[in-house]
Amino acid sequence: MEFVLSQLAGFGGAFVALVADPLTYAYLIVSVFLGITFGALPGLTATLAVTILTGFFGNKIPLDYSLIALLGAYVGAIYGGSYPSILLNIPGTAASAATAMDGHPLAKAGRGGEALGLTTTASFIGTLIGTIALLVFVWLLLLLSQNIASPEKALLALFGILLSGTLMSEDLVIKGWIAGLIGLAMAMVGLDPLLSEPRYTFGWSYMLSGFQVVPVLMGAFAVPQIIEGMRHMEMGKLVQLKGRILPNLKSVRRYLPTITRSGVIGTGVGALPGVGEDVAGWVSYGVGKTVSKEGDKFGKGSLEGLLSSETANNACIGGALIPLLVLGIPGSPPAAALMGAFKINNIIPGPTIDPEIILRVVAIMVLASFTMFIMGLFTARIFIKILKLPQVVFLPIVMVLTTIGSFSVGGGINDLYLMLGVGFAAYFLNMLKFPIAPLVIGVILGGLFDETFRRSLLISGGDLTTFASRPVAAVLLALNLALIMSQIPAIKRAFGRLRRKVI
Amino acid sequence: MDTGPSDKDLQILRARDFWGAVVLMALSVFFLWRTMDIPLWGGNRAGVSTADWYNSAAIVPLGIFTGLFVLSTILLIISIRAGGARHAMTAAGIAWNGDEALRFSTIGVILFFYIAGLVPRVDFVLCSGLLITALTFGYHGGHRDRMVLSAAALAIPGAYALIRHLPQSRWGAHDDDWVTLAVWIALTVYVLAKAKGDRVLKAVPIIALVAPVILVCAMAFGFRQNVPNRGGLLFKQIEYHYYVTIRPLWRD
Repeated sequence: MEFVLSQLAGFGGAFVALVADPLTYAYLIVSVFLGITFGALPGLTATLAVTILTGFFGNKIPLDYSLIALLGAYVGAIYGGSYPSILLNIPGTAASAATAMDGHPLAKAGRGGEALGLTTTASFIGTLIGTIALLVFVWLLLLLSQNIASPEKALLALFGILLSGTLMSEDLVIKGWIAGLIGLAMAMVGLDPLLSEPRYTFGWSYMLSGFQVVPVLMGAFAVPQIIEGMRHMEMGKLVQLKGRILPNLKSVRRYLPTITRSGVIGTGVGALPGVGEDVAGWVSYGVGKTVSKEGDKFGKGSLEGLLSSETANNACIGGALIPLLVLGIPGSPPAAALMGAFKINNIIPGPTIDPEIILRVVAIMVLASFTMFIMGLFTARIFIKILKLPQVVFLPIVMVLTTIGSFSVGGGINDLYLMLGVGFAAYFLNMLKFPIAPLVIGVILGGLFDETFRRSLLISGGDLTTFASRPVAAVLLALNLALIMSQIPAIKRAFGRLRRKVI
Repeated sequence: MDTGPSDKDLQILRARDFWGAVVLMALSVFFLWRTMDIPLWGGNRAGVSTADWYNSAAIVPLGIFTGLFVLSTILLIISIRAGGARHAMTAAGIAWNGDEALRFSTIGVILFFYIAGLVPRVDFVLCSGLLITALTFGYHGGHRDRMVLSAAALAIPGAYALIRHLPQSRWGAHDDDWVTLAVWIALTVYVLAKAKGDRVLKAVPIIALVAPVILVCAMAFGFRQNVPNRGGLLFKQIEYHYYVTIRPLWRD
């Protein structure tokens, strides 16, 4: 009880400080608006919103304000994806793909206003559920993480990359792992963290400091999106919006168990390293379809289906911030961009993070969700108008934004070459169905993995059993091995046979 | 829900995987070879003996590139078993599409000359305005000839700037700014001539001018950050009037 009260007091202090600062509202309104706009425009994603704003706000304003801008855009973008899903049947972001399944049929049936009102409410409640989980679990995990040393950190980083590769692969799991390894390999460029030995610099002094996170993020997420989106596309038919966009409290009360369940699922999926809002939306939708009495109506305009995906994808945000803040491992691709913002501000998320930052993040999340809720209800018509913008108009502007953002972070023209190189490589990897999120997570966690892996060996005098002799390390090693072995066909078949026998 | 790729899509994907795996194997072998330059078994650097194998800077890269080689070999085997090697040399197998190849190559040319040629050497507002005009005009409507024209519009000033002012010491020259401005004006006139009734094309010149000006001013004067080519033809004037004409209005 004492723990909960101290948490609430800390949160209250951070919240009041935030509310009392007039600049908060300026950053919050602009960033949530930009976030919803990015989410609402098919072709722009939440990851791109946070990445581009990292280039703009990452190290140019005090961290407190840049966190407001980035988190506001993150919350807004995940919600904004629901507009084209419902009105155009085109998901604005991957996170809203499941929303289109029921949202669009509802809009076609003349219930678009009701669907948007419910989506807004569900996203708001979902964000709050994720944020509450963040407030509670981040502290419990922080206490536990005090006992985490180099071997555990190395194994956790590896687990994050492997898990992200496994869950984010559209095609073969092996492609996700390859993407993760490419990311790790990119992180090896530059002076090594222990001996300052130059690696793969090819005599170019720019490479001595390694690949910078922001140009890699811009290249990996923005450039392929621009290349892919620059094509002529007939605009889908925008369904006429009927009815007012209002929160339907009766429906919210009726579906409260669904909302709560989806919030918990979204938070849980978000807390898995490297797994994003799209997976959360689909998992929650799938669970909802299985357990709901109205399961057969899912995909035909079910309010419960709509709530399942929309609550989960927003709840995922809070969940994704838990491993980021506690362990320094991003829980989702947009969280990887946030990690980039922390890095360029010389803040290392993990067990040593300043608790004030965590409380401020929670307070920002609560305020951002309120802002999103109010904007969703009162300015929805503006976002609906934005849906009519063709991609060929806004993507060239995104390219200019990306260029100036990437340039100004510090590395100058060389960062632009890096961004373009990574961008073309990411485009080809996308074409071959290699997921990009594990690559970026590999780049971000590569330095941590290298340093902690070698430090563990150094301390143990080269004894590899150091990765199995400590209890937490042994569990993590077992998880890593289980994850790899679960993808080996012979083991998969053996498990399949075993399951059939049991059933 | 996603129903997954069809048999034909899967066949194409495996054919592409064949080439992807070959490239990845070649890259991992190349980087394994480069890793051998890093002392592994206790080298001697500047008279200081480096530590044992477990402290070597090569140990993690060795693991990564070996892992990459093994995984790409597995991908190659999967691809061959699924018929990827059989279809790898056929246009149908890799789904060669002339329109898509033209679209991608023209965008590649535009982005390359923008980043490598223009941004370092030419005023940011001018080159970004040209980029926005070329990309919107070239890819709105899906006309092949417009894509080629747009790529040429970036390639001409980009190549001029690259060839004439390759070393950094010559980036300050302004002749490439004038060439870019001339191409931008010519392209804009052409776009407006073709714009009959097309609201998107009619809006292009305004967007192409306003968006880069706002962005570069926000970055330079709002966030006080470095922007590309501060001495550029237009930005130099903007910066001068900001500090000499506009700023004193509220500073005084």
